[in-house]
Amino acid sequence: MLQADLYQPVSPVLELRGICCDYGAGRPAVENIAFAAKEGEILCLLGPSGCGKTTILRAIAGFEPVRSGQIFLSGHVVSSPDLMIPTEDRRVGMVFQEYALFPHLRVQDNIAFGLRHLSRRERKVRVHDMLRLVGLEGFERRYPHELSGGQQQRVALARALVQHPVVLLLDEPFSNLDPDMASRMRQELHDLLRRTKTTTILVTHDHEEAFAMADRIAVLNQGKLEQFDTPEIIYHTPKTPFVADFVGQADFIPGTVTNGMVQTEVGEFPNALGCEEGTAVVVMIRPDDVHVVSDRNSNVRVMNRQFRGSENLYTVALPSGQVVHASESSTVVYPLGTPVRLSVVATHTVIFPPLGVRDA
Amino acid sequence: MTTIRRQLTSPLQLMTLITAAIILLPLGYVMSQALSADPAVWSRLWNTRIPELLTNTIRLAASVACLTLVLGVSTAWLVTRVEFPARRLWEGALVLPLAMPTYVLAYIYSYLLGFGGPIEQLWQTVAGPQARIFSPQSFLGATLVMTLDTFPFVYLLSRSALLNMNVSFEEVSRASGISRMKTLWRVTLPLMRPSIAAGLALVILYVVSDFGAVSLLRYQTLTYAVFQQMTGRSDTTAASILSLLLVGMALLFLVTERWFRHRSRFYQTTGRYRTPERHRYGWMGTSLIMMYLVLVVAASFGVPAYLLIAWSLSPEALATIDTRFYGFFGNTVFLSACAATGGVAIGLPLAYMASRRPNWLNLGCLQAAYAGYVLPGPVAALAVLVLCLNLVPFVYGSVIVLIVAYIIHFLPAALQSLEPALQQITPNLEEVARTLGLGIRQTWQRVTLPLIRSGFVVAWVLMFLQTMKELPATLLLRPVGLDTLAIRVWMEASEEYYQLAAPSALLIVLLGLPTLLLLLSKDWRAA
Repeated sequence: MLQADLYQPVSPVLELRGICCDYGAGRPAVENIAFAAKEGEILCLLGPSGCGKTTILRAIAGFEPVRSGQIFLSGHVVSSPDLMIPTEDRRVGMVFQEYALFPHLRVQDNIAFGLRHLSRRERKVRVHDMLRLVGLEGFERRYPHELSGGQQQRVALARALVQHPVVLLLDEPFSNLDPDMASRMRQELHDLLRRTKTTTILVTHDHEEAFAMADRIAVLNQGKLEQFDTPEIIYHTPKTPFVADFVGQADFIPGTVTNGMVQTEVGEFPNALGCEEGTAVVVMIRPDDVHVVSDRNSNVRVMNRQFRGSENLYTVALPSGQVVHASESSTVVYPLGTPVRLSVVATHTVIFPPLGVRDA
Repeated sequence: MTTIRRQLTSPLQLMTLITAAIILLPLGYVMSQALSADPAVWSRLWNTRIPELLTNTIRLAASVACLTLVLGVSTAWLVTRVEFPARRLWEGALVLPLAMPTYVLAYIYSYLLGFGGPIEQLWQTVAGPQARIFSPQSFLGATLVMTLDTFPFVYLLSRSALLNMNVSFEEVSRASGISRMKTLWRVTLPLMRPSIAAGLALVILYVVSDFGAVSLLRYQTLTYAVFQQMTGRSDTTAASILSLLLVGMALLFLVTERWFRHRSRFYQTTGRYRTPERHRYGWMGTSLIMMYLVLVVAASFGVPAYLLIAWSLSPEALATIDTRFYGFFGNTVFLSACAATGGVAIGLPLAYMASRRPNWLNLGCLQAAYAGYVLPGPVAALAVLVLCLNLVPFVYGSVIVLIVAYIIHFLPAALQSLEPALQQITPNLEEVARTLGLGIRQTWQRVTLPLIRSGFVVAWVLMFLQTMKELPATLLLRPVGLDTLAIRVWMEASEEYYQLAAPSALLIVLLGLPTLLLLLSKDWRAA
């Protein structure tokens, strides 16, 4: 079953019902966004910069008003056009892109910042537990500027989690870390969120990050929700060309429906959309669905090769000038200009109407 | 759970609006008085005084601008692109003139250049006993004093432009085979243009609104004339009309300065910072550079400071340091502390609202608070005076009027350090406190205030020091018998009691020195 249920029968921890936010203070507007998160689920808002993903996050936190629609947290309305529960009463935890650690407070005081209502001893125990959980024991008395980027992030996380938030909001949490550190933190964070069963909304523009972290992904473009599904479905059967292109390399090959099949320059595909005979369509194929085999008699040529370590990404030109990408294991190398034959083995056929296809 | 309705007018918002109104009201009052004046008064002024005053003011501003351009840019280029002995020391010494209020420099130069003064004597030994030099109480004298006092503005802005400029531009030019001198003309200077223009606009603004120097050198400018209309003839209508012209002129240069400063941001490229390569000249070149710098710093600060110290140590001066003197000092400190405290208290909500909710209303209120910039001292005094006489006559002659005038006049100085302090703390810090369960008030107490403390202190100190030096508004509005250090300097200097004016002047200069450290580190426009 590919279609995920957008609305859960049990009442979700977080639910957005058709929310719209206006342009304001330089933030992009969003329109008619609806999704829901189950207890303990990690949800990812994915999209290019300016698509409105941070606006949604800030609306959930209660920093942005909504023009229409409602936001529910644990079954209560927290945002609607004429009601806005203040942030401090929402029990959301938030980790900002720049972490926003209080520069004038030590690590322990940063984490204990929102625990004023507890006794001194209780606070100490909670801070200590949190530091152990994020692996920062012994750093209690440091100031934020004495920590590395990864450590700062862990403190910010500890500060948010120590409140036992209903939902944890992460705004591009890995964008300030170098790639090596980011992938390690990704793994650690994923384990930690699973262990603490924290419902999480994560905002990112990096599809690999979304794939690695999320149970479900909401892909956004220009303030609209394009698709909301599991990472696998998003990758293999994107609903729109935008999603197809945004979550990985994709080529769009024009074709025509003939005899119930889609005929293209690289072969036949099943007519998955059920289009009428003679309709012009485009077929999306991903580099891992395409294989190249050396063939002297072919007039398909290798145009470019990009070495990527475990694989080679070939750019291949068809006689019509159409360009297709293919990834092959890096053990075999085809020099530029090699005549090759293409074999396309797609597990899922994704077909779009030809209009509105962007230049891939 | 408590809920909040949107578009609730917060008390802070209300406070911002009221503050802006209080600041704009006096200015508006003067403007309306000027515009509603009898046309006969207008035409009388237009036919008699205005042409002369306008020419004098513009002539002075233009000549000072030309000279400061040369002095400021050349010194900035030397300290950033050339290596010579004690370079860092010179770099700091070139801002020292800003610690000298114009009236102090003016009175020292009226001694130096005066009839039978040391420079004339020196000149006579060279050119014969009948030789004369120009009188300090002339266009040339005023130009010289104002140039020496204001060139650091151009120097500071050019220096920071040169330091922030991407060195690659110059290196690309050299790599394309352009010589060092030609690179300066074709690459460096054009890139510095916005900063230089901003510096010049600032100099002109300063010259146009200066009262201290022109009053001591008896050079008739618009600002001086406003003062004279108020004291000599008690003619507030004529003073309002002249003020209107003055405010218009100041506004023009303020807008110019803002515009160029805004443009200069696009010229300063980001990216990795590299220190520029500093050229080392041979001993001939180096000694010429040193001679030039010694001359500039000696003329603008060294000699005046030496004279102040020497005069202060003279028996006549020492005799004046008694309880009366401490009284003047006490008055100065009291007035300055009141103005600084009031200014910071009023400025904080304005700056906060503008940085956190930057809608047109809040930004407009903030801009209104910058009105002090276009109000030269006598005009600020006039504005507050006219309003008081018409609305609350019973406070006339009390300290309150004076303090209100100070606050309106110097609020920009406070805002200039409050604004960046607030902008430096990202709103995220406040937002994260809200997600951790703190209300608005608690967030202020535990996050915002502790973080802006240093900006707060700087704002207070800047306003304190500016008020301490203030002359024209104090002269016009002080309660009878209340003298400050600045007033003493001006009065003694007007009577040419050079020695007697020295202790107060020296104290003002010494107290002003800490501001310069701030200027060097942050390039603030204030002071």
